[in-house]
Amino acid sequence: MSLSLHPLIVLLFFPGGLFLLGSGMFYEWIDRKLVARYQNRLGPRWFQPLADVVKLLAKEEIIPQGVHPGLFIILPVIALASALTAALYTPLLGLQPYYSFQGDLIVTLYLLSVMTLSLGLAGANSINRFSLVGATRTITQLFSYEAPFMLALLGPAIAAGTWRIAGINEFAGQSLWMILTQPIGFIVALIGLMGKLELPPFDAPEAETEIVAGALTEYSGRGFALFRIGKNVELVVGLTLVSAFYLGGLMNPLEFVLKTLGLLLVMAGLQSLFARLRIDQTVGLWWRMGTLVALLQLLAIVIGRALPGLF
Amino acid sequence: MSDQSSNPLASVMDGLKSWARINSPWVIHYNSGSCNGCDIEILATLTPRYDLERLGVKLQGSPRHADILICTGPVTRQSKERLKRIYEQMPSPKFVVAVGSCGTASGAFRGCYNICESIGDVIPVDVYVPGCAPRPEAIIYGVAQLLEMIKSGAPSAEMRKAEEPAAVEG
Ligand code: SF4
Repeated sequence: MSLSLHPLIVLLFFPGGLFLLGSGMFYEWIDRKLVARYQNRLGPRWFQPLADVVKLLAKEEIIPQGVHPGLFIILPVIALASALTAALYTPLLGLQPYYSFQGDLIVTLYLLSVMTLSLGLAGANSINRFSLVGATRTITQLFSYEAPFMLALLGPAIAAGTWRIAGINEFAGQSLWMILTQPIGFIVALIGLMGKLELPPFDAPEAETEIVAGALTEYSGRGFALFRIGKNVELVVGLTLVSAFYLGGLMNPLEFVLKTLGLLLVMAGLQSLFARLRIDQTVGLWWRMGTLVALLQLLAIVIGRALPGLF
Repeated sequence: MSDQSSNPLASVMDGLKSWARINSPWVIHYNSGSCNGCDIEILATLTPRYDLERLGVKLQGSPRHADILICTGPVTRQSKERLKRIYEQMPSPKFVVAVGSCGTASGAFRGCYNICESIGDVIPVDVYVPGCAPRPEAIIYGVAQLLEMIKSGAPSAEMRKAEEPAAVEG
């Protein structure tokens, strides 16, 4: 399915801009509500994320002493902008992505990492010790999950024989669900997504019981709100990518909603099931297990694709 | 305020802001020298049994993210400066709820040589919750009173303090 819209509409309303912000908040609410239900609580009301964001935007923004004011102000904007840009290449709502070229998978993955990178820089920009520890952990975690996550998303790309997200999505829609053919890749991708979003058990970078709020400790008001929205958008984009690749492609809005929400259900379950890992445990888990397993999977796919040609 | 209310857009924005403030009160909790009884009750308030997240209340670690400072205990001279600093680190608009008889009027510690009289002597307080220690229901009621106050548009203690002439430091 594809629609042709004016570029301004694409950027401001759908699928960029308003639609992404709205769906990001909606998915955040679903996530919080699910975790609350798993913990036998009632959970937040449906407009909670909206109220949070409006309240934060209406609050005073304090620029603390010792930071570079320009960086302090621009980093949240960069984080949000890169997350929004990444969404343009993904099959949101099961429609064709608006921009698509050979290799946009790599661009999207890097755009998603820019968000984490600005988070780390935002922490390192401040002289607050909690921010500094948080920034170190954020960047450490970035280095640990990034490689396996990328390998896990390369698996479907190699199987499909294309580096275009739209192409992989189409291929996934026509063949057997890749969660069955590449189960290891799916698990690595799902857990990698959780690491990317710093959800429990990978929330050591913002562990509130040890380091207050991690890299964002000094942010108040607008900057904090933008980072939160950016993270929500990243949640939607990540869910879209993983379900498009591994859950048989996203061809129409109904499929999109069902598959991403199903994935979110599993992710919320994992979040409430596990306790926080220490940062060294996170790194160990990814480099000792995640990367090796993802590499094996990749090797198997490459051999599987090369074998029929040999005989 | 008066010229703003004549402008329809500004009044809609004000309504939106106060709606968001009422529905998303994030709290930070500080013990300024209490016996810990009140703190246990505050933590009990935040457990799944009372589940304050259904009202939008979230416990934040950083003063920069919080709207409401929930503070317990008589302010000891040691913690006076810290309490002031935490209060000043919070972005406006900010509100303070003093929990427990000690925070209200030094309670069980009345007359001790090492305390200030009450939290209200150090920072502007919006709502006092009396009790030793107050039950979680009482704390929730106190916060609900505060939200009512925000809704009615009454000036918060912070605003009233700003209008007063600066007091001489003692
Ligand atoms: S009011 Fe009672 S419980 Fe609370 S700090 Fe004072 S003595 Fe402790």
